[in-house]
Amino acid sequence: MNPDLIAQYFNAECAAALAPLVTLAGGLLLLIVAEWFEPMNRLRPLLFVGSILGAAWAEVALLNAPVAAVLGGTYSADKASALWGLVFLASTLIAWVHARSYYRKSRPFLGEHDMLLLTAPIGMMMMAGALDLTVFFIGLELLSIPLYCLASFRRDRSESVEAGLKYFVLGAFSVGLFLYGASLIYAATGTLSLTALTAAAATGFSPMAQVGMAFVLGSLLFKLSVWPFHLWVPDVYQGAPTPVTILMATGTKAAALAFTLRITGLLPESSAGLIALLAVLTMAAGNLGALVQSNLKRLLAYSGVAHAGTLLLLVAAQRASGELSYEATSAALFYMAAYVATAGGAFGLLAWLEADGEHFTQIESLKGLGRRRPAMAAAMTLFLLSLGGIPATGGFLAKWMVFSVTLDAHLTGYAIAGVLMSVIALAYYLRVIAAMYMEPASDQVAPPMAKRTDAMLATAFCAAAVLVMGVLPSVFLGLI
Amino acid sequence: MSVPTEHLLALAAILFAIGVAGFFTRRNLIVVLMSIELMLNAANLTFVAGSRLHSSTGAVQVDGPIFVIFIIAVAAVEAAVGLALVIALYRQKQTVSLDAFARLED
Repeated sequence: MNPDLIAQYFNAECAAALAPLVTLAGGLLLLIVAEWFEPMNRLRPLLFVGSILGAAWAEVALLNAPVAAVLGGTYSADKASALWGLVFLASTLIAWVHARSYYRKSRPFLGEHDMLLLTAPIGMMMMAGALDLTVFFIGLELLSIPLYCLASFRRDRSESVEAGLKYFVLGAFSVGLFLYGASLIYAATGTLSLTALTAAAATGFSPMAQVGMAFVLGSLLFKLSVWPFHLWVPDVYQGAPTPVTILMATGTKAAALAFTLRITGLLPESSAGLIALLAVLTMAAGNLGALVQSNLKRLLAYSGVAHAGTLLLLVAAQRASGELSYEATSAALFYMAAYVATAGGAFGLLAWLEADGEHFTQIESLKGLGRRRPAMAAAMTLFLLSLGGIPATGGFLAKWMVFSVTLDAHLTGYAIAGVLMSVIALAYYLRVIAAMYMEPASDQVAPPMAKRTDAMLATAFCAAAVLVMGVLPSVFLGLI
Repeated sequence: MSVPTEHLLALAAILFAIGVAGFFTRRNLIVVLMSIELMLNAANLTFVAGSRLHSSTGAVQVDGPIFVIFIIAVAAVEAAVGLALVIALYRQKQTVSLDAFARLED
């Protein structure tokens, strides 16, 4: 190949843009090597946390000196992508910390676990930064395939295997939809670059490209767990090991959202109303499903569906207003940052409870938790209130931003429906809080917990993030 | 004499439809995986046909064929993971049918 051309592609900007990906990939290779030699096994946590922190450092460097588009305009490391990267890294780190104590009793292949878990954020970053359908596809698979394996990681439990298989079968189907859609778009327009496609869409897509776009959007809605593609969520979230659920609920959703926001320009303008309608239906499906659950893990899964609906409202608002606005991007980033802290914290507490026994995630067995474990109950209350969007928590401000963007896009009716849905959602969050504080302890009392400093630190970090985002949002908004 | 590109696109559409129909109607997980492979191959064929549609004698459109190479590689990975999961299911339930999934409903 022409050396000049290579120099033109792989310049300093490219190195900076790819630094987070390269750091994670390097850490991954070192983890594999560490697995071969017994004495190096102890280094694993160090390698994992080191790679995450190194990648975070590279993302912060990108935040100060963003790079628009590299590698022939196929990958972007702008400010938003860098912030998305930090969200993904936080989500992965929270999942990893909780995984450490979760598998304590039955340690299946912890080395492989760490490798798979470290691959996921590489995929997420590629999804968020993709300016080309090929790059997005590779990112999607780098994320999905480790998640299929991780979801079925507890091979001794049939729930876990089934969760993995269900996720795999539906995930592979949605990838098939995406690929056929992408191929139709390519056959119609002759390009895979999002920049070129956005320009082509502005002058009107041919019917073939529009059908292709519908397939692509369908597969993204699956990853976002939007109605009517949400039916897998409760089963998979419940069956998968809880630390993996953290990653699926927060990181995957964030990555799919980041890319969906990027391609709204390819959708016809008339689709805004339809997407907003889907958003409201998703919120309704999530909330009504959550109301009748007796298992907290399943309840949080349905609550995740409802949150996906709120996020889809943002996609609709952005399509309605046209250009990717600063407000929509910052609302999406703030919402997902708050959601990572909130859902990561709540699922993390569940992982903690679950490590003592499967049935401790039943709401029934949470009764009286407020007296038995005041700190834990207080943290869970904070997370549930933030999920419900109570003021002084990050969740409140996140919802506020989304609804104000929706109102600005003149989707008033949908915004009102969304607010009403949030009020319904409070009913089931408050039911859990009432069980913890106002009901006498159940006879299924959990044994005293082993002291888990790392899980405690992660929970404290999440709780602090939720509070800071609620009380001093400028700390986070200043970054955007 | 060469095959018209429209025929390739139509064949791909038929393959895709067969794949989707198989995905929704068959209960055997191995057949479901095969249906998904059909969908991926429909995409492959469309990419190659699209590349031919947009290439001229001087300049060949390589984006599509490159995508195809990635899809083939990823399909192999997906098949490996999928079959491993099917074996894990078989070890627990002695079946590879989707009907074994009823357990998580509430």
